[in-house]
Amino acid sequence: MAYKPQYGPGTSKVAENRRNQMNPEVKLEKIRDVTDEDVVLIMGHRAPGQAYPTAHPPLAEQGEPDCPIRKIVAPTEGAKAGDRVRYIQFADSMLNAPSQPYQRTYVEMYRFRGIDPGTLSGRQIVECRERDLEQIAKDLINTNLFDPARVGIRGATVHGHSLRLAEDGMMFDMLQRCVLEADGAVKYVKDQIGVPLDKKVAVGKPMDEKWLGENTTIFHVLGGNPYRNDAEYIEYIQRIHSLRTKYGYMPKE
Amino acid sequence: MAETSYPQIRIVPARFLTPDTAEDLLNEILAKTGIRRIVLNGPRVPEIVPYGPARGTPNVVAQRREIEVQGETIKLQVQVGTILIELEDASPIPEIRKACETVLTNFPFTLQEGRFMRSSMTMTDYAKYGVVEDERILGMVDPKSKTRPVILQGNR
Repeated sequence: MAYKPQYGPGTSKVAENRRNQMNPEVKLEKIRDVTDEDVVLIMGHRAPGQAYPTAHPPLAEQGEPDCPIRKIVAPTEGAKAGDRVRYIQFADSMLNAPSQPYQRTYVEMYRFRGIDPGTLSGRQIVECRERDLEQIAKDLINTNLFDPARVGIRGATVHGHSLRLAEDGMMFDMLQRCVLEADGAVKYVKDQIGVPLDKKVAVGKPMDEKWLGENTTIFHVLGGNPYRNDAEYIEYIQRIHSLRTKYGYMPKE
Repeated sequence: MAETSYPQIRIVPARFLTPDTAEDLLNEILAKTGIRRIVLNGPRVPEIVPYGPARGTPNVVAQRREIEVQGETIKLQVQVGTILIELEDASPIPEIRKACETVLTNFPFTLQEGRFMRSSMTMTDYAKYGVVEDERILGMVDPKSKTRPVILQGNR
């Protein structure tokens, strides 16, 4: 019988959202339309329109060794062309951001190929070949994994995920890379490492509280989704904890 | 040594304040009599990027501005999140609460009484700063900082 992933336990809305984000059969909801050029500007790895710098010659030219694994695994477009490895990093507010670092890593591992995610408490980085990255970044920004106010694209100086929000609802950012403009749209004025951009890059309007509450993947009393309300999730975590504590790396009941 | 008998309060708004709101709030609070010391706490927003790839470049933050409080200009180095106040006695606390209610209308805040500033040096303080001559600033700022406290004349 083929393995059918369950993605995660839980009967709550949060658990459901987590499963929906992870399950590649569920299409991510497209909410905004940030262009390729905008994504390139925000990431700041190359100028828009510039050719992709390479780290090695294209695979077709450099001649591959005779390797059974290379015959099984088809290279991604970026790997084929010999692109550099570049990154995008997100900081997600604990106050009902639509995705969270661990969740992001699960989502990306289920949905994308050729990636190397790194998970930390307040930020999550994903590395891959540059042209693949741009496609992935566009998916991550344009869909329901992103909110302009509660999620920040931050390559460095990421502090802010666990802090209170500013008066206008934006997550704290020491470098203030994005600003909520008078027209209600959030615009990036600096790229992800904090270098000022020549033009502002709009990433759409922040989602409202109701949407955030319904689409969040974090349990948080203040966010309206307390963890204790999901008995199944607690039972599952307690079971894992108990097995790990009692049996270490040889779990059995 | 800071006297331990003075009452202290802590105001924590549910959101970080913009310089405009911080200015309004401070002007409302400082119009009351009997305030000895006040500290504005919050995450720092430096003028120069201190680390990372953009290190050393000016940190352009659209919101940043100097605020005018009781005729003195204050350069905000943080995004105001918490206000600690030391009072001469507990009598102005209801008035301060009222001032907060007047300005912080869009979100809730808490006002607590307790001890929030250092009353004596800790061993770590000695290790970091040595003997601090001006003990009034203990627990308020880094004694080695070159910026000095702003002294407001008060309204007595």
